[in-house]
Amino acid sequence: MKKHKKNRNVAIIGIGQTSLSSHKEDQNQVEMVQEAVINALQDAHLTIDDIDCIVHGNMELFEMQFAPDLWHSLGTGAYGKDEYRITTGGTTGMTLVCAADNLVASGLYDTVLAIGLEKLQEGNTTGGITNMADPLWFRNLQTGALTGTTAAEMINEFGEERAKRAAMKYRIMMDKHAVLNPRAHRRFGLEYEQAEDLMANSPQLVGELRLIHMCSQSDGACAMIFTSEKKAGKGTGKPPVWIRDHIQGHREETIPNLFGAVKPEMTHHYCARKLYERNGITDPVAYFDVFEMYDPSAWWAMDWLREFFLLKGDEHIKMLERGDFDLDGKIPINPSGGVIASNPIGATAMLRPAEAALQIRGDAGPHQIKKEVRHALASGFGGTFWTALMILEKDLNW
Amino acid sequence: MTCKHEDTRNCFVLEGKMALPNQYFAGRLGSKFIIALRDKKKIMGVRCQKCSKTFIPPREYCEQCWSKIAENWVDLGSEGELVNFTVIRYNDKHLPKKAPYVLGQIKLTGADTPLTHVIQGIDPKDVHVGMKVKAVFAEKTTNTIMDLDHFEPV
Amino acid sequence: MAEYFGATVADIFNTMPERFKPEEAKDVDIVIGYEATGEGGGKWTATIKHGTLKVEKVEELKGCKTTIHADAEIFVGVTLGKITAIDALTSQKLRVVGDARLLMTLLPKIFVPFTVTPRKKAVSARAILATVESRFRPEKAEGVTMNIGYDLTGENGGQWTLMIKDGRCTVREGFAEDLAVKLIMDADVYAGMMLGTIDGASAFTSGQVRIEGDMMAAAATTKFFHKYVDPNAAEAEELICLRVTNSIDQRFASGPVMGRWFAGLKEKKFMANKCPECGRTQIPPREICAICRVRVHEFVELGPKGTVTNFDIVYFASPDPLTGAVRDTPYTPIYVVLDGASEQDAFAFELKKEDIDRIKVGAKVRPVWADKPTGSFRDVLYFELDR
Repeated sequence: MKKHKKNRNVAIIGIGQTSLSSHKEDQNQVEMVQEAVINALQDAHLTIDDIDCIVHGNMELFEMQFAPDLWHSLGTGAYGKDEYRITTGGTTGMTLVCAADNLVASGLYDTVLAIGLEKLQEGNTTGGITNMADPLWFRNLQTGALTGTTAAEMINEFGEERAKRAAMKYRIMMDKHAVLNPRAHRRFGLEYEQAEDLMANSPQLVGELRLIHMCSQSDGACAMIFTSEKKAGKGTGKPPVWIRDHIQGHREETIPNLFGAVKPEMTHHYCARKLYERNGITDPVAYFDVFEMYDPSAWWAMDWLREFFLLKGDEHIKMLERGDFDLDGKIPINPSGGVIASNPIGATAMLRPAEAALQIRGDAGPHQIKKEVRHALASGFGGTFWTALMILEKDLNW
Repeated sequence: MTCKHEDTRNCFVLEGKMALPNQYFAGRLGSKFIIALRDKKKIMGVRCQKCSKTFIPPREYCEQCWSKIAENWVDLGSEGELVNFTVIRYNDKHLPKKAPYVLGQIKLTGADTPLTHVIQGIDPKDVHVGMKVKAVFAEKTTNTIMDLDHFEPV
Repeated sequence: MAEYFGATVADIFNTMPERFKPEEAKDVDIVIGYEATGEGGGKWTATIKHGTLKVEKVEELKGCKTTIHADAEIFVGVTLGKITAIDALTSQKLRVVGDARLLMTLLPKIFVPFTVTPRKKAVSARAILATVESRFRPEKAEGVTMNIGYDLTGENGGQWTLMIKDGRCTVREGFAEDLAVKLIMDADVYAGMMLGTIDGASAFTSGQVRIEGDMMAAAATTKFFHKYVDPNAAEAEELICLRVTNSIDQRFASGPVMGRWFAGLKEKKFMANKCPECGRTQIPPREICAICRVRVHEFVELGPKGTVTNFDIVYFASPDPLTGAVRDTPYTPIYVVLDGASEQDAFAFELKKEDIDRIKVGAKVRPVWADKPTGSFRDVLYFELDR
């Protein structure tokens, strides 16, 4: 089996989450972090003494608290241990997992704990994201991560009716998945019959991006534990899930440069193409059993499915219309309900591989896919459209 | 290496700001701590029976043995010993007092971790480690640690 | 009437006039309609005009600029903050016909939030007096010897003396002989003052409290005691939340390469630089071309007109972090490929507000300059349609 060079193999052996909600008034940040860490340690049958290194991540501007790793150390258990802090916007959670993967693979640490968190209720999310823009140009105009440009492009390409229907079908499908996930933040109980009403009446945020299309602002934390091949499966709680490979792709343009008359290759497409190529995957839709995608809005989700699966034309919309992305479909997307349902930003991109790993283990809960999951894909997204993409496997067979 | 003479004719500077509203939830434990300060003029810590250590400010888990200690409240009284201090000699809008003022670490009687707070009622040059201090509570409360206004010599 | 979260829908409207902040509504002229459905529901209108407010219960919502509709329980829950407004709005359980932004912008500005006071068990004056000795602060009453009499009238009343001497305070029933001061009031007024529901100063001015003897001594007594805390108050339920706006002054430097863009703006010109390898134009000018990884030295003037490739009509009001102020919506960033720029290189500008309704991809636009450009993003006021 074709594989990417890796010094040693790395397994996910512990997964812990808090509930994801709009308010956590009864917990401060430290207590929320600790809840996720304790859940992950229990899941792995480990104690904090078994952890060699800690990787911590969130975004300062979302809580407006500086040096959070320092005062979260009571909750992370970092006291007296090596700790790294990572903060890369929306991708933070996934970058944490990539870093943990590299730290274990390098041989420098055997067992690494990664923690992603956010309490978006404590800050102003859109205002915080707006600060990513260059202060000399565009910070005065950017509106966080809210944009209707993709909606406009899809309407232009597929026609208003079909494009709007696709985005709304995707949105309602995500809610149907979220309803099954007891940890998800927003579980509305939407029905497909409401599509027309929502398409016309949900308040507009930016252009055709409406409130219903956009992800939530959530509070929550996720922790994951990684260990080497040698240690995996020895006295740990659950069967290991293997990280086969990951890739990250940044771009050089700022957002004002992104919408020229000719579009450059999207980082999603670039990362997917490279990652599949070096792992010998020729047909991603056939290969993967589930995809946990970072989907900040229903419009972006629909557009990005084409990029991630290297599809052409309207194939992605046809697949949605056929039900290929449903829980019992050909390639289920976001059984967890995705980012649209729950979005504690520093944890959000970590929840993607975490939920994908739970699917592989078969213990996701009520939103577990019925058929066996052997190969899973998970993505992260952030900043000026950059990408992190990861392949998880049930079997170590390379 | 010598410093290159830069042509700065095209260098512009824009005055800006970063202003964002935010809020902080103290949590159940933190709220109880602040409310005790505010309403009962009491300084409360939590005790880990296993490690025989009393922590202030309170925390949910003992940082040493990770056992849950959230409910083991201890009234720490209002007196303690100064174990360390520094003198703040500049003024800034975010500072709680006018300079010069003393920021001290006070080990309250019965606590194992010091509490950092302002020392007043004494000339900064007379402050010394080992001196006994007691808490003075604020008349006007703000739901913050400043509901304990400062410590002063006993 | 049906109660949700300890309040009725009518409570919200009945308290509206006292929660209204006229000074914040000076420039407001709007009629808002409210419809709460289900048990305990009804229809109301709020007419806000130049700092005045009129709230009416109505049969039909007529003449409203914006109407808000929800089930009575959702209505109360959202108003109290027990149900997250944005979630209710997203799931359409709360519907706004008209301008949904006023929920987030106008209403919080002109109304004090609606809250429900938890019902407390009545505390008697006698019970409060029983705590006086334990609330005494000897350090505040050093050297004080004084007898204070309380003549509490009414159903729960009685006569008491607080005796302060030698750093101790004792309470006994009846009056001592040498009272420094005697306070006379209804027992319920005393209880209200101690609980903080009645303001002491206004109770005195309004004659609810009479003082016989040394008035200054009476005023001084408050500092001898810790504040009374109602044991029935649900303290465990109070979760503290601190709200602040962090604001830090900043200065941003352009550097000499991006600075050429600003130097150009001062002369009402758009200056980009051009990669010697791939030939693409870069706005803002960058030291290197990141794709070809070569230094870029050549500057070219672009535009000033350009072609719109995409645009965002923003309705959502968010803070501008450069000022901290909430933005005035709608506003429209447009992505423009300036004349002479390579076709993949767009840049963002603001569109003139009057042109928002007519903007289309492919439209030709031209800049409108500030009178005296200084070398900042404010030099281009906006772009307008080129006709």
